[in-house]
Amino acid sequence: MRTFLGAALAVSLTLPAAAQTRPDQLKFRELYKELVETNTTLSSGSCTLAAQRMGARLKTAGFADRDLHYYATPENPKEGGLVAILPGSEPAAKAVLLLAHVDVVEARREDWTRDPFKLIEEGGFFYGRGTADMKGQAAVWVDMLIRFKQEGFKPRRTLKLALTCGEETSYAFDGASWLAKNRRELIDAGIALNEGGGGRLDASGKRLLLTIQAGEKHFQNYRLEVTNIGGHSSRPTPNNAIYRLAAGLTRISAYQFPVVTNEATRAFFAAMGPQVGGKMGAAMTAFSRNPTDAKAAATLAADPSHNAILHTTCVATLLEAGHANNALPQRARANINCRIFPGESVEQVRLRLARLVADPEVKVTTLEKRNEVAKPPPLTPEVMVPVKAAAAKLWPGVPVAPEMLAGATDATFLNPVGIPTYGITGIFGEHDGNGAHGLNERIRVRSLYEGRDFLTEVVKAYANQK
Amino acid sequence: MRVFLGAAMAACLAFPAGAQSPRPDQAQFRDIYKELVETNTTLSSGSCTLAAERMAARLKAAGFADSDLHLIVTPANPKEGALVAVLPGRNPHAKAILLLGHLDVVEARREDWTRDPFSFIEEDGYFYGRGTADMKGQVAIWVDMLARFKKEGFAPRRTLKMALTCGEEGAPFNGARHLVNEYRALIDAEFALNEGGWGRMDESGKRIYLGINSGEKTPVNFRLEVTNPGGHSMRPVKDNAIYRLAAGLLKIGAYDFPIQTTDSSRGFFAKMGPGLGGAIGAAMTAFAKNPQDAQAAATLATDPAYNAMMRTTCVATLLDAGHANNALPQRAAANVNCRIFPGTTREQVSAKLQELMGDPQIKVTANAGRSPGGSAPPLTDAIMKPILAAAAKRWPGVPVVPMLEIGATDASYLTPAGIPTYGFTSIFFDPDGSRLHGLNERVRVRAIYDGRDLMTEVVKAYLK
Repeated sequence: MRTFLGAALAVSLTLPAAAQTRPDQLKFRELYKELVETNTTLSSGSCTLAAQRMGARLKTAGFADRDLHYYATPENPKEGGLVAILPGSEPAAKAVLLLAHVDVVEARREDWTRDPFKLIEEGGFFYGRGTADMKGQAAVWVDMLIRFKQEGFKPRRTLKLALTCGEETSYAFDGASWLAKNRRELIDAGIALNEGGGGRLDASGKRLLLTIQAGEKHFQNYRLEVTNIGGHSSRPTPNNAIYRLAAGLTRISAYQFPVVTNEATRAFFAAMGPQVGGKMGAAMTAFSRNPTDAKAAATLAADPSHNAILHTTCVATLLEAGHANNALPQRARANINCRIFPGESVEQVRLRLARLVADPEVKVTTLEKRNEVAKPPPLTPEVMVPVKAAAAKLWPGVPVAPEMLAGATDATFLNPVGIPTYGITGIFGEHDGNGAHGLNERIRVRSLYEGRDFLTEVVKAYANQK
Repeated sequence: MRVFLGAAMAACLAFPAGAQSPRPDQAQFRDIYKELVETNTTLSSGSCTLAAERMAARLKAAGFADSDLHLIVTPANPKEGALVAVLPGRNPHAKAILLLGHLDVVEARREDWTRDPFSFIEEDGYFYGRGTADMKGQVAIWVDMLARFKKEGFAPRRTLKMALTCGEEGAPFNGARHLVNEYRALIDAEFALNEGGWGRMDESGKRIYLGINSGEKTPVNFRLEVTNPGGHSMRPVKDNAIYRLAAGLLKIGAYDFPIQTTDSSRGFFAKMGPGLGGAIGAAMTAFAKNPQDAQAAATLATDPAYNAMMRTTCVATLLDAGHANNALPQRAAANVNCRIFPGTTREQVSAKLQELMGDPQIKVTANAGRSPGGSAPPLTDAIMKPILAAAAKRWPGVPVVPMLEIGATDASYLTPAGIPTYGFTSIFFDPDGSRLHGLNERVRVRAIYDGRDLMTEVVKAYLK
């Protein structure tokens, strides 16, 4: 999960032409390949298997069995995970937790150009389900612990790695939620690094901005459902469940929630404006100064990624209706996926949807109940200094800014239990969103290798912090 | 399969109250009927082959030679067999008459039904069970008739044939189509009688009309599909597969195909109008006289069944879209079930659907289905006279009306192959349609016995 911006031009550095892959990168690549090629979809994959494979690598690198904590519940044997510990030299110092989910969104071979469960390198990109979301970062974490162990790196603070399952669905077993509830001590840390945030590239591959995630929108599904007496399809009647649902969906599709801002979104647009330049850059700057500037907001809204952090969004994601091709539908259902801007309530959005649908026969119900969005943890100097230092070294001239994530991450489970969780990846994403959750998911090879170098520096700095 | 009309009152005869014990010949018939209903012939767990074998055994016991009993089972579909029986006529040059029936029934789940759907239960003047109405009643009438004719030594002038098939209720393997393609000579006939038409009663059991089906609409399923690159649902984009599909479906839902008529649909409205009276009756009369009468057509169109007799209809029946609740849909698909009026082609309907939606991103494909019904066979005097005579004798005052079948039957395979096929059942159904395809299917005991008597008379007349 990650936000990518469709921003246009920029005045930053382009990626240098293909360089030689270093030996350490080749080793990392092999681990990454194994992870991507381990199907971890809910329908047919196994996170438990992925965790075992990563655990085996850690053991080979010298991790003691007592520092490898596998977990799974009897009800969800394939949705297990792993917590690995690299003990620090200062037992009293709060640990640093590296968090990653290993599950991926479903992917159908027939819809993809390439096999989604093969890591394919092509034209400077890695293709495959999870290459971007988020097996890249998960592989970086595992590889990092292996290297630290092999190098004999002795961190001051204990390093912990938590690989979890169930982040990509709102209804399945969520490993991060389970650990926060059941193994709070095992994952206890002074800071957790997670997906979210990252770097922005423009369409030409220029680096625009590196961000740290501070806060996220709330993920909420609603169901629209119409029931009907049905009947034989040779005899259609005006009252049809599918048409009622379609009419409601059409009205929802035409609606835009009111524009709102918070500190993170204003700071983000303020930093992005000069980088992006042109009409879009000017709109960002104007909007960050004056969020009531409707014209600037309209310019931003034309870009789906900017639009996503301007307000709550709701979109139909699933449809299901009917029981036979020759019978009038007795039931028609849609799932509406909303991303609620902090400050707005789940019920307010439900009522808004019901008003839009404007048909009492179309029932609008709130589905899963996750935590309400927690207050974002503060971006203190302890958090920011290592990030800025590593960024300045790797990407001089590229600004660092906070951002509010349009998506949702497992930070939603850790922040409320007192583990401040930040989205820090250093992986620069494509302007089109890298196909995350979609078809032909991919990640720029260079972005992943550079992100790995960045995270190594940042984690080392955190690990040695006093 | 059949038409149900939302028609209202009528001034016809009620069934006499109180059941009488069946005559000996009715008891024998009832035994065949019971055996048929209790032989599960659903696609999922039943066997038409077994039912065909059991009916063949009864005919053999009645004196049919093995050479006149043709069990037809294809190796690929061992449980979807058929039976063709032949009662040879005295004049080998006279063309045969074919009695057509399907053995298979729609699925029925015991837990959903009040009674066991595969137990033949007589209760309060009704026979209950899956297939009692669609169409094991008529099949039992056919089998019983052939058995009686043989036992009675009835030697018709024309050959009488019977074909019992499987797969009418929507299975991929359709037995009637198989016979047409592979056993055309065996089932050759001047015309065929099949399910369809039906009689209709009101709630009190009064007979409103007796239908004869001539011509039917052609069912075609169209798949509508939109594909899209999809993406993460936190970042909605304007171009959305579900919204495109929804917009297209709304345009289809808002559209009424043009009014059309056939001789049988006009005949139906002409005959029904005076009896029904009221605004609907007047509209029927006006429409029958002048199908251009838009006001009359609009009045009739308010009733879903009459509406279906006046035009092609298309309706969305299935939706399927998306792959995850947090991803923009990569695919959104709908099934649109069309019932195409005789004279209109599936290509025309496909083009109209595309034109209505006006979105080239919505791909429309016609699923393979029944062949077009072709033009309705004419209701000649030779066909109508025996029916009119028998009906007038038994049910004076009950109109016999030609009907356009809004559903579909296996006539769609036989008529185009040169065997004009008439839907004529002689069994009167309740206003609830005897719950065909639905729960607790049933038919009135009296309606079955009376229908059997009338049918015997009609078939005998045809054979002369």
